[in-house]
Amino acid sequence: MSKKVGVVGVGYTGFSSVTPDVSWKEIMFQAANRAYHDAGIDPRKDVDSFITCAEDYWEGFSIFDEFVPDQLGSVLRPTCTVTADGLYGLINGYMQILTGLMDIVVVEAHSKISDLLTYNDVLSFAIDPVFNRPLIDLGAHPYYIAGMEMKRYMSETGTTEEQCAEVVRKNKLNAMSNPSAGYEAKINIEDVLSSEELFAPLKRLDISPLADGCVVFVLASEEAAKKLAHDPIWIKGVGWASETSWLENKEWGRAVYAELASRQAYKMANITYPKKVIDFAEVDDKFSYKELQHLEALGLCRRGEAGKSVEEGAFDVDGVLPVNTSGGLLGVGNTLEASGLQKGLEVVLQLRKDAGGRKLPDVECGLAQSWRGVPTTSGAVAIFEV
Amino acid sequence: MTFLEKTTDVRKLRHWDGDMEAQYLYTTGIAGDIFFKGIMNGKIMGSKCEKCNRICVPPRIYCEVCFERLNEYVEVSKKGKIHTYTIAKIDIEDKRLKEPLIWAMIKLDGVDGGMVHKVSEIAPKEVKIGLKVEAKFKNKKERKGSILDIEYFKPVK
Repeated sequence: MSKKVGVVGVGYTGFSSVTPDVSWKEIMFQAANRAYHDAGIDPRKDVDSFITCAEDYWEGFSIFDEFVPDQLGSVLRPTCTVTADGLYGLINGYMQILTGLMDIVVVEAHSKISDLLTYNDVLSFAIDPVFNRPLIDLGAHPYYIAGMEMKRYMSETGTTEEQCAEVVRKNKLNAMSNPSAGYEAKINIEDVLSSEELFAPLKRLDISPLADGCVVFVLASEEAAKKLAHDPIWIKGVGWASETSWLENKEWGRAVYAELASRQAYKMANITYPKKVIDFAEVDDKFSYKELQHLEALGLCRRGEAGKSVEEGAFDVDGVLPVNTSGGLLGVGNTLEASGLQKGLEVVLQLRKDAGGRKLPDVECGLAQSWRGVPTTSGAVAIFEV
Repeated sequence: MTFLEKTTDVRKLRHWDGDMEAQYLYTTGIAGDIFFKGIMNGKIMGSKCEKCNRICVPPRIYCEVCFERLNEYVEVSKKGKIHTYTIAKIDIEDKRLKEPLIWAMIKLDGVDGGMVHKVSEIAPKEVKIGLKVEAKFKNKKERKGSILDIEYFKPVK
């Protein structure tokens, strides 16, 4: 049985607010071709299994998985869809290879969310129809849940709105060095603090704007990787977890799913002191406070200290733990199910010394973490190493 | 190879309009039935887990902590404390609300859980975590078996 699984190819499109020039199938075709070119493989001959990550409602039609084979090169081949974030797909591909049944597995996730004209309505379908959704009749925008989480997190940890705004400033600035990012900007925290209050304390600029884009990974067993062009980036540990779906019973101030997912991944990777081993991280920042809450959940800083650390520059590109060098979802754009793979992509590019103007010196181990967004309490973690 | 040709003239871009109509009848289940019958009678019901020594609100037939089957239903307090809240300035259509709305997670007294609901009869600036509130039910004739049979939660005076 193969003991190691490596990333041997990545392909991606740019991330942008709209992509009217291509269909959702073409955006997949584009990213897939780049990944196969990068890995030096022919999908019609060399790939044993294909995994896509998607939700029917985001795509706009039912049984979406039937429509993926053609543009990935997976017609007449083992293909399946994971109804979750891209990192869950990566983890599934990783496990397929560990079974020994597959040598090369392709994982794809994309967002063509600009095709959806009623995002708020679709998101509201994710809320319990019987016990919570009736509030929508009173006018409740589903992001009110994020406003409530932010309030509780700040109250439990003493984190301030200024510290959350600092996350936005940092990530949008990082995105200035990422040519693929869709929402780069040079702003200061006053711009964030004075942006329109939507679900107080959550403001407009605390929210990651939606983006289109596609990311494709090619994974390989150690043996198969040896025959390919690239030096692989190894997957050292993975984890995923879900809390209860009851809003009435979930933790409002803590990201328990990220605590559990990361402990599972650290254990697999034999990491006892994550702060000492993890050189940089890409963590979910669908809302500014989530980056801080997630960093604490991952054990990369003490509970209640992430806000202070971001103010001190600890998570800057030249800080002790660079966080979201890609620009995060605040700077790149929220690509929904593709956001976890976008985070994995940045970790791989950094470890390959292939991250252009935002390249981190001397990094050997990076962590990617995803969260499925409101109203969920689910997320995944993957740890990569050179 | 990916594409050799791309659209360069935006006037030639095409799209197809579509919509997905979907209607459902969501069954509320055994525990939901008891809960909403309670609501119709101005009561909030929970289900008791003997093993974990807790009362779950809203009620369910299984305990998510120990996975025991729950059989005992009890009426719980209509009063509780605000666990967290937000002041919403826009509605689901991204339109500015005339008056901000206060949404809150209310932990009801003596139980595990409570309700996510609207808070009213208080200025947004006065709302605090820990504030004591109570459910204000609609008149019995207007109740339909919905969480909206509770009009809102209001501060306990």
